[in-house]
Amino acid sequence: MSSTGSKPEERKPKKGVDRTLIRRLSVFLRPYFGWIVIALLLTVVVAWLGPLRPYLTQIAVDDHIAKGDVPGLARIIGLFALVLFGEFLLLAVTTYLTRWIGQGALLRMRTAVFAHIQSLHVQYFDRNPIGRLITRTTSDIEALSDLLSNGVVNIIGDSLRILFIVGFMFLLDWELTLVALATLPLLIWSTLVFKRLVRVAFLNVRDQVARLNSFMQEHINGMSVVQLFGRERREAERFDTINTDHTAAHIRTVFIFAVFWPVVEVLSSIAMTLVIWYGGANSLESGVSFGVLLAFIQYVRQFFQPIRDLSDQFNTLQSALASSERIFAVLDVESVVKEDPDPLPAPTGSGRIEFRQVSFRYTEQEPVLREISFDLEPGRMVAVVGATGAGKTTLINLLLRFYDVNEGSILLDGHDIRRYRLHDLRSRFGLVLQDNALFSGSILDNITLGDPAIDRDTVVRTARLIEADRFIERLPGGYDFQLKERGGSLSTGQKQLICFIRAMVYDPPILILDEATSSVDTETEHLVVKAFDNMMKGRTSLVIAHRLSTIQHADRILVMHKGEVREQGTHTELLAVQDGIYRRLYELQYRDQASVYS
Amino acid sequence: MRGLLRLNRFFRKYKGTVALGVVYLTASNGFLVWIPILIRQTLDELQIKGADAELAWYSLWLTLAALAYGVLLFLTRQTLIVTSRRIEYDLRDELYRHLQRLPMSWFAQRKSGDVYVRLTEDVNRVRDYFGPAFMYALNTVTRSGIVITMMFVVNAELTWWALAPLPILSVLAYWMSRYVHERSTEIQEQYAVLAGRAQETFSGIRLIKAYVREAYETARFQADGENYRKRKLRLDFVESLFHPTLNLLIGSSIVLVVWQGGELVMRGVLTVGNIAEFIIYVTYLTWPVAALGYTLNLLQRAAASNDRIREVMEAPAHQDPPDARMPAGPGILEFRNVGFRYPGSDAWAIRHIHLVIHPGEQVALIGRTGSGKTTLVQLIPRLFDPTEGEILLDGRDIRTIPIAELRARIGFVPQETFLFSDSIGENIAFGRSDADQAAIEAAAEHAQIKENILDFEKKFETILGERGITLSGGQKQRTAIARAIIRDPAILILDDSLSAVDTKTEDAIVRQLLRAEQPRSIITISHRISSIKKADRILVLQDGRLIEEGSHDELIRTNGAYATIYRKQLLEDELAVL
Repeated sequence: MSSTGSKPEERKPKKGVDRTLIRRLSVFLRPYFGWIVIALLLTVVVAWLGPLRPYLTQIAVDDHIAKGDVPGLARIIGLFALVLFGEFLLLAVTTYLTRWIGQGALLRMRTAVFAHIQSLHVQYFDRNPIGRLITRTTSDIEALSDLLSNGVVNIIGDSLRILFIVGFMFLLDWELTLVALATLPLLIWSTLVFKRLVRVAFLNVRDQVARLNSFMQEHINGMSVVQLFGRERREAERFDTINTDHTAAHIRTVFIFAVFWPVVEVLSSIAMTLVIWYGGANSLESGVSFGVLLAFIQYVRQFFQPIRDLSDQFNTLQSALASSERIFAVLDVESVVKEDPDPLPAPTGSGRIEFRQVSFRYTEQEPVLREISFDLEPGRMVAVVGATGAGKTTLINLLLRFYDVNEGSILLDGHDIRRYRLHDLRSRFGLVLQDNALFSGSILDNITLGDPAIDRDTVVRTARLIEADRFIERLPGGYDFQLKERGGSLSTGQKQLICFIRAMVYDPPILILDEATSSVDTETEHLVVKAFDNMMKGRTSLVIAHRLSTIQHADRILVMHKGEVREQGTHTELLAVQDGIYRRLYELQYRDQASVYS
Repeated sequence: MRGLLRLNRFFRKYKGTVALGVVYLTASNGFLVWIPILIRQTLDELQIKGADAELAWYSLWLTLAALAYGVLLFLTRQTLIVTSRRIEYDLRDELYRHLQRLPMSWFAQRKSGDVYVRLTEDVNRVRDYFGPAFMYALNTVTRSGIVITMMFVVNAELTWWALAPLPILSVLAYWMSRYVHERSTEIQEQYAVLAGRAQETFSGIRLIKAYVREAYETARFQADGENYRKRKLRLDFVESLFHPTLNLLIGSSIVLVVWQGGELVMRGVLTVGNIAEFIIYVTYLTWPVAALGYTLNLLQRAAASNDRIREVMEAPAHQDPPDARMPAGPGILEFRNVGFRYPGSDAWAIRHIHLVIHPGEQVALIGRTGSGKTTLVQLIPRLFDPTEGEILLDGRDIRTIPIAELRARIGFVPQETFLFSDSIGENIAFGRSDADQAAIEAAAEHAQIKENILDFEKKFETILGERGITLSGGQKQRTAIARAIIRDPAILILDDSLSAVDTKTEDAIVRQLLRAEQPRSIITISHRISSIKKADRILVLQDGRLIEEGSHDELIRTNGAYATIYRKQLLEDELAVL
């Protein structure tokens, strides 16, 4: 939510658009259709039972009390109690039922939004702040909660209740009904005025609260700056201004409420007075009895509640529609990395990769890759080195179709990768990413990523193979050790080992490693290097390397610089190039490590 | 709870208004009770006199009573609730002013989010004590006192019947609002889990796509959503019962009144008017009785929040010692065997630091991340105080110098540039409250940011941050430098504050900084050799100790840690230009 002090958006929703929105929303309610019908039927009954009570009072007074009929009174009281209990039961059931329906629809919707966002192309995630995407699956859905869980039913229930109350009143005495409802226009008018005033006042309060909160937030975080520059007095003065405005905004709201509540109370008392006055005056001529008066006194009070509730409901409706617009906007985004409509069968070849004249740019500006061409033979290891920003990681993004190439093509087993189904293509690769992506959950889950085909034994065996078993088993719970978000409690090297195990248990024909840039602690360093060698044995692999020590045995090393392949060859060949880029990179690393161990 | 009583000192300031509010509230209930009484009298009159009854007068009185009640209700809210808002103001003001005087060591031990909650949420909860809780409690007492008295005056037997269901209502409301509060916390937690899951998935999207785990992630998210739904429904279950139960209890009260009242009417003890009267009494009692339970919860929550606020208020604020004064002298800064441990940590961040910095000297600090560079410079303006040893300014321990005067002599540019969401001019003037436009522009020019600022549409009035524009890293750093040099400080500390500025601009800034009118000491932290090469003295820190000290040439000759860093950077520079 923005904290700008903008004017309230007086958006007049277009009817047509709203109808589409409602139709799209109803898709999520479809499985509950039968239940919704039941809820609506129950609502009708409940709306009728409430106004029935004053009616029974009338019968009790006029037909029994007035005539001294004790057993009759007991009978009507029994009926009364029954109605009361029935209303209690049905109201409880209806309320819970509608909420249950609403929560179910929300869950379906939330999951659908999540699944859809997840299916979008990677670039969408680069362009939209993660925070905004999270909002779509959380608070935007939450805003619909009121609408879906009770909004609609309440609107129908309240309207029916008003109808039934008026109906019963007319049934008892139509003249008196008109008198009792005389204050109604005034009530409706004042409610409308109140709603308008309070809306403006609330927006003002919201702005002031936002202003106060952001001042607080900023000054807590920047307190050292305030103190360093000796600004305590000035900042306290500024805070006073904001605090004063904040209080004033609240006091204004208090005033509006302080006027409105008494007005409602007074109006309902006046309605009661009118009933007594008019009803009393006509009691003999038109047969208005005490029972009728008593019933009307109750009706007048009953009547005011649903009117106030209704005006609230329309507000929730408005804000819910605004949220659903945002949600459907996301659902309407289509992935730009498209599946081939007539895909090739899953690749089964040995995993030969060819980059042919591949060029790529993320934005309209500088290309990140310029006409890159190279082959990766099955069973071989190609390493890519280069400074940060040389375009190394982009190679992986293209190979896995996180993005599609702008020019040229990438072939897997002789066919353009765009011809395979995404699922088939990606299943051919085992990926170890630069940022050591770990999730909250057990180590086992982080390795299998929930694939039921990978059993615990495989995981343990693989861990042993790369000698990661010892540190895992030392953790409390071993493989069931629960990781915090992003693997918090583990060291960088340990996280990397887990990612290695993950890549290996999936047993892919082609391994892709985007090696971590961050320094690994000396304790796990040798483990990581060893595990790395183990993993590469006999596999086709593409390694983006930052630590040159790990790739000296590579079959070929590509040296990338500013989007182009500038040098290639084996480690020995490249080192022999005087003034070569690789040679300098190597020296740089060597010195770095020398200083680490010095 | 006792803590809340201590809060009553805030009431004292407004005792006149509060007393008036109490009178209004009591009086309003006094008029309210007239409505059912008048209705009963009217009905009785009707019963006796029939069509001859003088209804006009009764109606007039009824209307007047209703109006009086309305006006008094308005006045009650205008006094009591408004006062609670004013007290909230006072409380927040006091709290913020106190917070400003707390030392950094206090902030370092707390999450900023936690402090934030205390200043916002907790203050709101305490406000509930002064406002709604107080008003509702008072209303419950006065209204039920008056109404129940009236009921007993009319008929004791019927009163007992009418009141029977009400205590259940009060208990129910209490239990219910507590349950809702607990469940809401639980729901909030699961909501956070849900958001966390989305966060993890969306930020790890590459991995998920690479391993084709979309379906699994969706299933996990759905499971979390299902859990959330279950928790929500548990709350919904109780909430769905609340309203119907409320209805049932009030309804039973009315049933009992009609039934027992009816029999009393038939025995001739009461009139039909009395039944009408009692039905209205019961509806009047509903809210105050339900509010009783709700109020108790408000009080409990306010008490808990108040404890958290008191923890802040009772934290000792900074106080200059009575004999504090600024020493006269050229401005020689000396570290004598200084060691520092962060609060709550066992490890020494820096230790055994001996160092003298003369006026006009340019000193540079270099070392790996975590070697203690920032810690060392933070001790100079007393963001923290040394754990052992002392720091002297012209021979006087800086702890015995008035902190405002000490800081006034220091220009500090922190590592993480912190600018306020205010205009860029205001941000620069932050360094000196009395700065005029000319001074702001001069500082901006010296920090090499003026041209950038003039390129903005609103120049110096350009708003920064959330509501305005986002500056680049280098622009932020230069703005922060302008903020520091507008003070014309005797000691200027630059904590890695030129890292995002290119070398040419950096040279220009440093040259300008050295051209101060009075001799100025500059302490620079940097990772870039090029920016510290020309310093008079370079200090190399490793694991909190000073390991090398000397000029660039001296240190290169020593061929130690500094020389290694230097050679590495040379190679990097070579690669960059290929």
